[in-house]
Amino acid sequence: MSDDEQHTFETADAGSSATFPMQCSALRKNGFVVIKGRPCKIVDMSTSKTGKHGHAKVHLVAIDIFTQKKLEDLSPSTHNMEVPVVKRTEFQLLDIDDGFLSLMTMDGETKDDVRAPEGELGETMQAAFDEGKDLMVTIISAMGEEAAISFKETARAD
Amino acid sequence: MSTNFEKHYQKVIDEKDLEQLRDVLVSKDSELANRFRALFNLKCVAEAFEKDPEDANKAVQFIAETFVDDSELLKHEVAYVLGQTKNMTSCPILRKVMLDAEQQPMVRHEAAEALGALGDLDSLDDLKTVLEKDPHPAVQQTAELAIGRINWAHSAKAEEEQLQESLYSSTDPAPPLALDKDYKIAELQKLLTDQSKPMFDRYRAMFRLRDIGTNESIYALATGFDDPSALFKHEIAYVFGQMGNPAAVPRLVEVLARMEEAPMVRHEAAEALGAIATPDVVPVLKMYLNDPVDVVRESAIVALDMYEYENSNELEYAPPTAAN
Repeated sequence: MSDDEQHTFETADAGSSATFPMQCSALRKNGFVVIKGRPCKIVDMSTSKTGKHGHAKVHLVAIDIFTQKKLEDLSPSTHNMEVPVVKRTEFQLLDIDDGFLSLMTMDGETKDDVRAPEGELGETMQAAFDEGKDLMVTIISAMGEEAAISFKETARAD
Repeated sequence: MSTNFEKHYQKVIDEKDLEQLRDVLVSKDSELANRFRALFNLKCVAEAFEKDPEDANKAVQFIAETFVDDSELLKHEVAYVLGQTKNMTSCPILRKVMLDAEQQPMVRHEAAEALGALGDLDSLDDLKTVLEKDPHPAVQQTAELAIGRINWAHSAKAEEEQLQESLYSSTDPAPPLALDKDYKIAELQKLLTDQSKPMFDRYRAMFRLRDIGTNESIYALATGFDDPSALFKHEIAYVFGQMGNPAAVPRLVEVLARMEEAPMVRHEAAEALGAIATPDVVPVLKMYLNDPVDVVRESAIVALDMYEYENSNELEYAPPTAAN
């Protein structure tokens, strides 16, 4: 992704905040949280017992939604943590070109800045596309990053 | 899933059985901070009486063994903890301590408060005796509050009133004012500081302000530090420790420095600073490690340990496995 494209993306997303604060005690398993600057999905949560002032600590285990890397954090339950705004959007797949997806937005604009997924997802998507199938790709976006997470075949309208 | 944090957690809990925690708690050779940590670990067992009544009641008995200690601070914490367990087997022990003139005032006060927290109807007569006969004003006022809380807890109001769910796991000396009225902070502050109003109502305003949890509510609560009642001031300091908001630090530092102030107030200010646990509280607390007042000096030790815990990667506030 070039600097220009990055800039375009951020401008397009301006006005809506990338994260919002939430009290640690209100976080839930399978929800999202920012750990070490990364948007994550919470896979495990445990709460400590409390001392004199009734403070608990919360231990979070979470998976980076883009890199799948495991991250951990320990926070007082009363502290605020940032929660990423995570959006899922479906796009029609027009092309897979030089490692990038060419997608069509609902407005009919093309969007060429999302990398083609790697691994099994990338291979099955490429194979389905090569067979000439019409594909809808789900793009997850959070904190200025985007990635394809799944696709499905659409029934032809005509 | 096993992570480093969880391994640590399991190590601490698995290797300490009830007897080991008791030994750390009751032994005068244990570090004071570890005695406190052991106490709160035993509390977790004592409050799980529905799951394991035998261990829970054993934990209550172990905790109560500490009442023969000399430390006013430790014994008052023991009474507090018993009051927080919801375990009614604590009640006869607490009544005895509350009525025992040999126990120091803070211990008697906390025993009375604990009976209020437990909502123990059978303690009403003894609490009335304390209200009339205890020589210490803070103990008398605590009895008044405890009677108020027990009556409230057993009234229709306890069922009907809509209360904000507390962020903290404590049973408080009074419930916060109900949510059906939308109080302004200034109104709550007025009720808080109105000495013509019953203490129970002023406490309800205090806990409502705590639950609002803004800097503005901190400033309103801090006006309570000019009250003549030591009991009232100590509760403001406690609430600040719960809120954990650094905006309260300057006032707590000022209150801790009042050498003429009642020990219970300075003690609670010190422990609140440890719970807020910002780096600036460390040099302040260290200044009181040689304070002439026992409960203040000991509170500085416990508060610095709380600071360590809050800023550590330890999940649990538990005694270290090597400690004994």
